[in-house]
Amino acid sequence: MTLASDTMNELPRGPANERQPRAGIRLTDEQSRARRTRSIAIALALGAFVVVIFAVTIVRLGSNVLTRPIYMQPVQPTQGTK
Amino acid sequence: MSVTLAHTEPSIAGAGDYIELMKPRVMSLVVFTALVGMLVAPGHIHPVIGFAALLCITVGAGAAGALNMWYDADIDARMARTASRPIPRGRVTPGEAAGFGFTLAAFSIVALGLLVNLLAAALLAFTIFFYVAIYTVWLKRSTPQNIVIGGAAGALPPMIGWAAATGSLALEPIVLFLIIFFWTPPHFWALSLYRIGDYARVGVPMLPVVAGECETRRQIWLYTLLLAPLGVAPWLLGYTGPIYGVAATVLGAGMLVLALRVRREQSGHTACKQLFAFSILYLFLLFAVLLIDRVSGGLFGHFAA
Repeated sequence: MTLASDTMNELPRGPANERQPRAGIRLTDEQSRARRTRSIAIALALGAFVVVIFAVTIVRLGSNVLTRPIYMQPVQPTQGTK
Repeated sequence: MSVTLAHTEPSIAGAGDYIELMKPRVMSLVVFTALVGMLVAPGHIHPVIGFAALLCITVGAGAAGALNMWYDADIDARMARTASRPIPRGRVTPGEAAGFGFTLAAFSIVALGLLVNLLAAALLAFTIFFYVAIYTVWLKRSTPQNIVIGGAAGALPPMIGWAAATGSLALEPIVLFLIIFFWTPPHFWALSLYRIGDYARVGVPMLPVVAGECETRRQIWLYTLLLAPLGVAPWLLGYTGPIYGVAATVLGAGMLVLALRVRREQSGHTACKQLFAFSILYLFLLFAVLLIDRVSGGLFGHFAA
């Protein structure tokens, strides 16, 4: 698959190409502004999602969230059994 | 292997366009009625779980709105009321809207199932499916009963709220469902009476287009006759105090008076516009009084007794 940015690497190097405009997509001011607001909105939404998941986890598990066994205790043989 | 990607313009859609895509005004009514359904339910729901449930319902409603705008973009562009929506305006491409809608729908349903309970998630999934597939894709362009049957989607949020709080269903949320279900035809037909040209132009068979204004005005009156007593039903069934009963009776009488004016209106659409505006106030006040009555623990009832 060839992307626009890949084609830049295929341009012959030399003085004749030094001042040529870079290939690829150039965003207008409006497009840059729109992308920035989308990025901020996605960041805020993801942050809110993490907070909600965290809060619900704490509410659902309560203090048990801190008491999970990390290592299994070895089972002690019951007295009287051979 | 070399594949040349099709050239597409970078998106100019801002965050505001995506919010607009979620139909925030419709969403606010959905959130409010779901909140009432949740808070009038018996038992106790933890505020954090309740907030998470409401958030999922909100996002689910927004997803349904985005998918509706995606599918209806062709007719939206030719109707004055909807021509300025993000897709007809060229701010959001149909593909972006579809991706946004499907992603949010999946997220909201799965999150509601994992964070709250499966019944609420199943009801939310059914609501989105009903609004998008049954109403938008199928009924809207094929029958004048489109908004009557499709109104079920808008009537489900109180049941989702109730299910989120209790994990079950009962008669009371079904009564709330019926109130919104029978409220939708007078509300929407009042609007379509003075937007009849829009619907006729794009070939959507709304009742005024197919059956004429006179028949629509008659049916608005008939549905309002059913709506007014249904509004009082929560009090008659003993779910609320007398203050709700009085409020529902007065508001129902207001709806009846305006619906009668619509029926008798010979020319112009003044009464239609009044009924449309009042119907929004009617539903909001009815649910607000119901909420206050229940949250105050029957306080109004004690004062009245």
